[in-house]
Amino acid sequence: MRVGTGTRITLRVVALGYLFVLVAVPIGVILWRAFEPGLATFIASISTPAAISALNLSLLIIAIVVPLNVVFGVVTALALVRGRFRGRGLLQAVVDLPFAVSPIVVGVSLIMLWGVNGWFGAIDRAGFQVIFGLPGMVLATIFVTLPFVVREVEPVLHEIGTEQEQAASTLGADRWQTFWRITLPAIRWGLTYGVVLTVARALGEFGAVIMVSSGFPGVSQTLTLLVHARYIDDHNTYGAYAAATLLMGIALLVLLLMTLLDRKRSDR
Amino acid sequence: MITVTAARKHYGSFLALDDVDIDIPSGSLTALLGPSGSGKSTLLRAIAGLEGLDGGTVTIDGRDVTAEPPQRRGIGFVFQHYAAFKHMTVRDNVAFGLTIRKRPKAEIAKKVDDLLEIVGLDGFQHRYPAQLSGGQRQRMALARALAVDPQVLLLDEPFGALDAKVRTDLRQWLRRLHDEVHVTTVLVTHDQEEALDVADRIAVLNHGRIEQVGDPVTLYERPANDFVMGFLGSVATLGGQLVRPHDIVLDRDRTTALALDAKVADSPGVITATVERVVPLGFEVRIDLRADSGERFAAQITRRDAAELGLHEGETIHARATSRSTVVDHDPALAI
Repeated sequence: MRVGTGTRITLRVVALGYLFVLVAVPIGVILWRAFEPGLATFIASISTPAAISALNLSLLIIAIVVPLNVVFGVVTALALVRGRFRGRGLLQAVVDLPFAVSPIVVGVSLIMLWGVNGWFGAIDRAGFQVIFGLPGMVLATIFVTLPFVVREVEPVLHEIGTEQEQAASTLGADRWQTFWRITLPAIRWGLTYGVVLTVARALGEFGAVIMVSSGFPGVSQTLTLLVHARYIDDHNTYGAYAAATLLMGIALLVLLLMTLLDRKRSDR
Repeated sequence: MITVTAARKHYGSFLALDDVDIDIPSGSLTALLGPSGSGKSTLLRAIAGLEGLDGGTVTIDGRDVTAEPPQRRGIGFVFQHYAAFKHMTVRDNVAFGLTIRKRPKAEIAKKVDDLLEIVGLDGFQHRYPAQLSGGQRQRMALARALAVDPQVLLLDEPFGALDAKVRTDLRQWLRRLHDEVHVTTVLVTHDQEEALDVADRIAVLNHGRIEQVGDPVTLYERPANDFVMGFLGSVATLGGQLVRPHDIVLDRDRTTALALDAKVADSPGVITATVERVVPLGFEVRIDLRADSGERFAAQITRRDAAELGLHEGETIHARATSRSTVVDHDPALAI
């Protein structure tokens, strides 16, 4: 299709303007407000005990969720690609469910299941607090990040096929050796990409986590909850901007990592 | 020696192997030849243990391996699409089987270097498969399979993904390699020329059954049925019988043709045909003919005979099979 110069320039202006208004301006405003009073104020605001605790909690949740998602994701992807079993279609749909279900619904259903009066309430009553504790936040985060590793690893498994694994078995490798030496190295870029997406999503999750967290500053606030609490409850708008900037900084770091990995992946 | 007895394999309702029995002698290079869907690859994969059988047994050098997984069968396997380990260097690919077996490092290094020299990839140790050509990748795969000193080497259409020139080079090379290494080798191919070129024994498969096993000359000259005849070389149908196009004699004079014919009582009779086309093919000339019965066939004669005859399109000629030609009665049920 041939497009005239005038139309082309108009299209570009519209696209850039759209991006500018919807993405660049909000981010720019937060950055500007966060650094306006000076770097020292910013650092003071993100190094309060509550802020440090929130950062640590967010990272702790990630540290628990990522290994679980890696194991589950790889096993599920293998089952979906290689398995010939009844209910494979159902499993496909279930894996995508977290994309479709609103995080707030996840939070509500977790309370219904694990809360004191829920189906598994006995666990809570026995003294192991799930809802309004770390386990609840981990469960909520796992739910929303479930599809990422599966969906990134699956196409890679399709692409590599089974011949390399068959070759390994004819050369004397048992299943376990074949997995560690052939399958895992072959899917490592897909897996890494899935992990990065999981980290980004876990870091930014809000709706599901706020439902199942007690939200005490310094105890059970993640970074997103901290931003929310500072802004809504404490009317500490500057604190919210600073915490949001920290959150954004980490997300940018993850995004940068993702881009670098992507470049490396397409090199091969 | 590989012995397969009463091998059966279904894929759903499709019967891939229908009670196949075959003996593959030690040290031989046997080709499993057949069209796609004939069961030749399934048979090879069953020998390797990559495919389970519904019935029957596989023995390798007297050991029943039917229930053994591939890693305990003492085999080397080469895949059509190389199955190179993409994340490993050429050296690590070839060393894989030895590394799994936890051999000493020095022994592995020496063996890998020796093998890479044999397959002509010396100096490529640190390349990745993506940096090799198709032919080089397949030679690497062959070195990898040979590294574990397999009792049998199984090749599944190893040259199928390569272009024509590389393919002929590699199969000559495989033949020479086999003469040096003497490992019992089974090669799957759908290319009759390839089978005749490299193998010292050929098993022709069709519809999950073995039609005939023998050395290339026997199969070419005394095919068991018209499927084997049709699969190993071109054929012409002459008066209800299959003959090789180069076994057809053409003559303008019917009496000369009859006189020659009279020496052999049971040879097919003389057929009168019209020349439809004269196609020079280099050393030989193909004559496309249409018999009076309407049947079309082709004869192949040398340039000199063609020049002597001086055939023109549209003229009438007499044709018959030579007295010592390979003839098989045509059975439409077995036709390709």
